[in-house]
Amino acid sequence: MTTVIMRTTARAIVPIVLVVAISLFIEGHNLPGGGFIGGVLTTTAFAIIYMGFGLDFLERGILGRDVDPGKEPSRDRVVVAYRRLFAYGFAIAVVSGLAPLVFGQSFLTQTFVMLEGVPIYDHLEVASAIAFDFGVYCVVVGGLLTILSVVGAE
Amino acid sequence: MIATPVGTDSQLVIAPMLIVLAAATATLLLGRYPRARAAVSLAGGIAYAAAVAAIDWYIVLAPDAPGIATYQVGGWPAPFGITLVADGLSAFMLTMVAILGVASLVFSTRHLPGGEERSYYFPLFHFLALGVTGAFLTGDLFNLFVWFEVMLMASYVFVAYSGGPEHTRAAFWYVTLNLVGSAVFLLGVGGIYATTGTLNMADLAQRLAEPAAYGLEPAPVVGLFALLLSVFALKAGLVPFQFWIPSAYRAAPPQVTALLAGATKKVGIYAIIRLTFTVFAGAAVGVDLSLPGVTIAGDSPLPFIGAALFIMATASILVGGIGAVGRDSLEGVFAYSSIGQVGFIAMPVAIATTATAPGLRKLAIVAALVYALNHTLAKGLLFLSVGTVRSATGTSRFADLGGLAMRSPPLAISVFVASLALVGIPPLSGFFGKFLVFDAAARARAGPVLVVLLVGSLLTIAYTTRAWNRSFWGAQTDAVETASIDPVQVAVLAVLAATIVAVGVGFEPVYEFAEIAADAAVDTEGYVDAVAPQEASDLIDSSANGGDH
Repeated sequence: MTTVIMRTTARAIVPIVLVVAISLFIEGHNLPGGGFIGGVLTTTAFAIIYMGFGLDFLERGILGRDVDPGKEPSRDRVVVAYRRLFAYGFAIAVVSGLAPLVFGQSFLTQTFVMLEGVPIYDHLEVASAIAFDFGVYCVVVGGLLTILSVVGAE
Repeated sequence: MIATPVGTDSQLVIAPMLIVLAAATATLLLGRYPRARAAVSLAGGIAYAAAVAAIDWYIVLAPDAPGIATYQVGGWPAPFGITLVADGLSAFMLTMVAILGVASLVFSTRHLPGGEERSYYFPLFHFLALGVTGAFLTGDLFNLFVWFEVMLMASYVFVAYSGGPEHTRAAFWYVTLNLVGSAVFLLGVGGIYATTGTLNMADLAQRLAEPAAYGLEPAPVVGLFALLLSVFALKAGLVPFQFWIPSAYRAAPPQVTALLAGATKKVGIYAIIRLTFTVFAGAAVGVDLSLPGVTIAGDSPLPFIGAALFIMATASILVGGIGAVGRDSLEGVFAYSSIGQVGFIAMPVAIATTATAPGLRKLAIVAALVYALNHTLAKGLLFLSVGTVRSATGTSRFADLGGLAMRSPPLAISVFVASLALVGIPPLSGFFGKFLVFDAAARARAGPVLVVLLVGSLLTIAYTTRAWNRSFWGAQTDAVETASIDPVQVAVLAVLAATIVAVGVGFEPVYEFAEIAADAAVDTEGYVDAVAPQEASDLIDSSANGGDH
C-alpha cells in the first residue's frame, strides 16, 4: 500500500482527520461525539500513516529511533507507550469518576462552570465530564493502537 | 456522607464495585512490579470482602438494617439514571463471590501460569470480579447487559490465556457463542424497551403489574423474556446451552475456572431469579400456549418460564451427570459435574415459578440459593485443587495420576470434603442444599422431578467416586512421586474445606440469610418502593419548583 498516491493522500487527510477527532472529543458532552468516537477517529489517522508509510515509520521517521527488524512487536517502544497510554487513560477515567465522592456526591456525578469574558469566545463552558472523556479517549487510542500495531506486525 | 451505613441511600452500595475498579486500575499501572502488583491485588480482594461484609451487616442482617438500599449513579434519579440496588438476594450472591474470590486471589499470588501475559492477569481478574459485582447490584436491564459484557471481555482473555492451539480453539467457540448470546440479549432488551418504555427493573415491574394504567400492550414481553432466559441459561450453562463449558473450563487457568464456575455461572442463575420473581412475577400478562399433550395457560408468564426451566434443569442434571462419569481428567469431570449441579440449582427455581403457595415458592428459592452456595464453595475448591495438582505434577489426566492421597493428605482431605459436599453427605453444606431441593420437590408433589433428582444424585456419587479412585487412591505414579505441592495453595483449599464444614455445622444463620434473600427476591413491592422510580412529569414539576435536577 505504500504507493505515492497513498502517501500524498495521507499527508493531506491525516491533519484533517485529527482536527475533526479533537473537535468531536471536545464537544462530546453536549453534542454527538465524545471520547470514544474521538479516539476511534484518532486511531484511524494513525492507521492511515501506518498504511502509507509502514509500521516502523513512527519509530524511525518521526521519533528518530533505531528499530531492530526481528524484534517482538509488542516490545516496541512505541507499543509500550500505547499500552501505558491505555493504563493512564483508564486511571484518569476512574479517578474522575471517584472525585465527586470527595464532595459527598454520587460516583460519576458531573458539573460544569461557565467562564465569562474569555477573549475570542466571550463565554466558555468548562464541564467536568471532559476529564472522564479524556480518560476514555486515551483508553481507546492506546488500546486500538496496541492492537493495530501488534496484529499489523504479525 | 461517605459510607454512612444505616441509610437506604448510601455510598456503601457501590463500595465493592469501586474497590475492584480501583484495584484493577492500580494493578494495571503497576505492570512492571510483580510483587507490588500481587500485594495490591490481594489487598483489593480483602477490601472487597470487607465491603461485602459491611453490606451484609448494615444493609441486610443487622437488627435495625433497612433490608434494601439504593444508589443513583451520577445523581440521576430512577428510572432515568442507573440505579444500583443492594438487597438480601444481591448481598447473598456477593458474599459467595467474595469468599471464593479471595481464595482464588491468594491462590493466584502463589502460582501464575504464562509468560508476558502475566502482567495482565490481576487487572483482568478484577475486571471479571467487577462484571460479576455490577451484575448482582444493578437495577437496570441495560446496565445488566453492560456488566455481562465486562465479565465476558475478561473471561474471553482468560479462556485464551495460555495461547496454545486448543486454548485458541476453545476461546473461539466461547467468543462466538457469547457474541450470539449478547446479540440476543440486546434484542430482548430492545424489545422490552419498545414494549414497555422503560428498562429500570423496578419501573418495569410496576408497569407490567398494571399495563392498562400505562397504556401498554404487554403480551410481547413473554416472548422477549424467553429470549433473555436463553441468554441467562447460556451463562449458567444449562442444557441445551452447555456445550461451551468443558472446553472453556479446561482452557482457562484453574484458579479462574474456579471463579467462572463459582461466580459467573451464578450471575446467570441470579439474573433468572431476579427477573422472574422480582420483575415478571406480578406481570398481568395472559399466557395461552397449547402444545401437543401440554397446555400452559394463566394470568402470569411464570408457568411458561417454569416449563422451560423444568426441561432445561432435567436435561442438565442428566447430561452433566452422564457426561462426567466418562471423562478422563479431573477438570473434565468437574466441568461436566458443573453442568449437572447447575441443573440442581435451576430445578428448585423451576419449582418456585410453578408454586402457587407463597411458602413453597420461598422454600424453593431458599433451596436454590443454598445449593448455589454449596456449589460455589465445593466446585471452587475442586477447580482450585486441579490447579494445585496441575502445578505440582504437570498433569491432571487420570492416566498419569494416582496415590495423591498418600502424597499430600491435607490436599486429599480437602478434595474429599468437597466431593462429599457435592454428593450431599451430612453435616456438610451440600447436605442441606440437596435436602432442601428434595424437600421442595416433595412438597410440590412432583414425582418425576424427584426421580430426576435421585438419578442425578446417584450419578454424582458415581463420578466423584471415580475421580477420587483414579487420582487419589492407588499406587503413586512417577508424576505424583516427584511432585512438589505448594503449602499455601493447600492451606487455601483447607480453609475452603473448613468453610464447607462450618456452613453445614452452623447452618442456622446461613439458612436465615438465604431466607432473607428469598424474601427479597419475591418482594416486588419493597423493591419498587426502595427504587421509587419517578414519572417524567414529576421531574418537570420538581425542576419548575426550583429543584436542581
